[in-house]
Amino acid sequence: MKDSPQIADAHDLSQSHPPEENWFAAIRTVTGFQLNRLMTRPRLAMGLVGALFPAAVMFAVMRTAPINRDMTVAMIYVLIPEALCVLGLLVTMCPVVADELERGTWIHVAVRPRGRQSLLLGTFAAAVIWTGGVSLVALMLTLLISQPTQPIGLVVMFTILIGMSCVGRAALFALPAVILPKRALIASVGVALVVEYFAGLLPAVVNQVTVSLRLRSLLVEWMEWRNDLPIEMTLFVDNYSAPVQILAVCILVFILLTTAGFILNRRQFPPSVEN
Amino acid sequence: MLSLQNVTKLYGTVIGVNDVSAELRQGVHGLLGPNGAGKTTLLGLITGQLRPTIGSVNVFGKAPFGNRRILSRIGYCPAADLTERNATPREWVTYLMRLSGFDIAEAPRRAARALDEVGLGEACTRPLSTLSKGMRQRAKLAGAFAHDPDLLVLDEPFDGLDPVARHDLVNLVRTWAQTRSLIVASHLLHEVEALRADLAVILGGRLVANGTAGEIRELVDALPTEVKFKTSSVEKLAQIACTAGVVETLHMPDEDTLVIGTRQAGLLADMVAKAVDDGLVVHEVIAEDRTLEGIFSRLMKLHRGVEQ
Repeated sequence: MKDSPQIADAHDLSQSHPPEENWFAAIRTVTGFQLNRLMTRPRLAMGLVGALFPAAVMFAVMRTAPINRDMTVAMIYVLIPEALCVLGLLVTMCPVVADELERGTWIHVAVRPRGRQSLLLGTFAAAVIWTGGVSLVALMLTLLISQPTQPIGLVVMFTILIGMSCVGRAALFALPAVILPKRALIASVGVALVVEYFAGLLPAVVNQVTVSLRLRSLLVEWMEWRNDLPIEMTLFVDNYSAPVQILAVCILVFILLTTAGFILNRRQFPPSVEN
Repeated sequence: MLSLQNVTKLYGTVIGVNDVSAELRQGVHGLLGPNGAGKTTLLGLITGQLRPTIGSVNVFGKAPFGNRRILSRIGYCPAADLTERNATPREWVTYLMRLSGFDIAEAPRRAARALDEVGLGEACTRPLSTLSKGMRQRAKLAGAFAHDPDLLVLDEPFDGLDPVARHDLVNLVRTWAQTRSLIVASHLLHEVEALRADLAVILGGRLVANGTAGEIRELVDALPTEVKFKTSSVEKLAQIACTAGVVETLHMPDEDTLVIGTRQAGLLADMVAKAVDDGLVVHEVIAEDRTLEGIFSRLMKLHRGVEQ
């Protein structure tokens, strides 16, 4: 250990006090740090299983019976933007606070100026990148297996749907993650089932605030299925144009993340919880 | 620097800190108390992690909870172990510096310098999970002061360190405190005394004493010491003690036990030794616990008005 008087020289460092506004840099740093945490063998193995799962299901179905293009698209939609994205985000977004508490790192981050918001938004970005990446690999493998016609158009459409699913669901799971950090996984599964898959299918005003309605509506719009839908199925999709659906998801994400950030800024954890 | 006004912190129905008031100026301050006394809660209030249920906390004139300007001036080394597994100390401290707002060039410089100062220069590229608890403790300490805060708050900072490392870090922290402020919480009196800090003793969430180490010792020494005698001649021993005028309190919990409270323990010992020489039979003498726990216990009694 060096002689202790050196510490007094800390004042010599060129940037004595940090700049006031460097928020995006902090978010970027957290994103990188969280992605680095995800680069462990168990997590990579989990990602690989996730990427292979839709292709395996598609392969099994195709061996049973031949399926047409529309059926292939519907299956990919259910398996990737609806199932895989949700599962991936449950693993990556839900532990945003719980993981920090468990590792004993929460207090180190929370005591930094804007540490809490950076943690939330950085983890959000990392969860979206990780889950989106796994989902895109899964999409490529599934398209390779199913070999539909006009695959480029499907890649573009599903990339947007995957992106919107990841962004929307990650923001949705941010709320239980900050409200009930120790029970975030269970709470998020509940939110996914109740909000996304139950309320989202209710033909009422409540489904307007779900991501699933927007994704379904975009799928129907872009696949030009609207005129072919049975009359009872039209209750489960929205008639607005694609830009409106995308804007609705963006507004929802903004509201959810702002609320989660507001709550996280006010969260207090007793020392017993931190330890 | 720090002002606490009637601060109470409740966790539901559990009291973490109970009606604490104190004014601390720039300098070195030790927060002393046994485990569970409320030290970490008080530090949580000071570092802006907790909001008082009642009362107010002001650091550098402002409430620290959610205040970015104040938080940027505070460095905190918590007691809980760092179980981040994959990151190296360099990555970890750089990460914290980035969160403190330093740019991509400055953050690693500060991290490297701080790690060098705590003696982790060579081990800074090993994953934290492969380091000993003492080395992780040093990494935590580096993360706490690398951004050059005006107030450094350390919770059990020397826990898990070997004596040499402890000595080095005490010197490091003491040097730090020459120009800035330091609050150190510990349940070990000698650790805080080594920093030549003013002391505040917290027990059961209440601030029961504060002053210099000497003043605290004087306060404790001024309290009557209880000495328990096991003897078959309880009445005779009581008579001798009372005649000598060294007795503050006297009671007999059972027929062969006498407990004498005295401020002149030495005189009482001489007197009893003389009585034993003269034929008094004393089977056992038990002096009151003078360890830190004993001192805490006595301060608590004093605070509650049990002893006067």
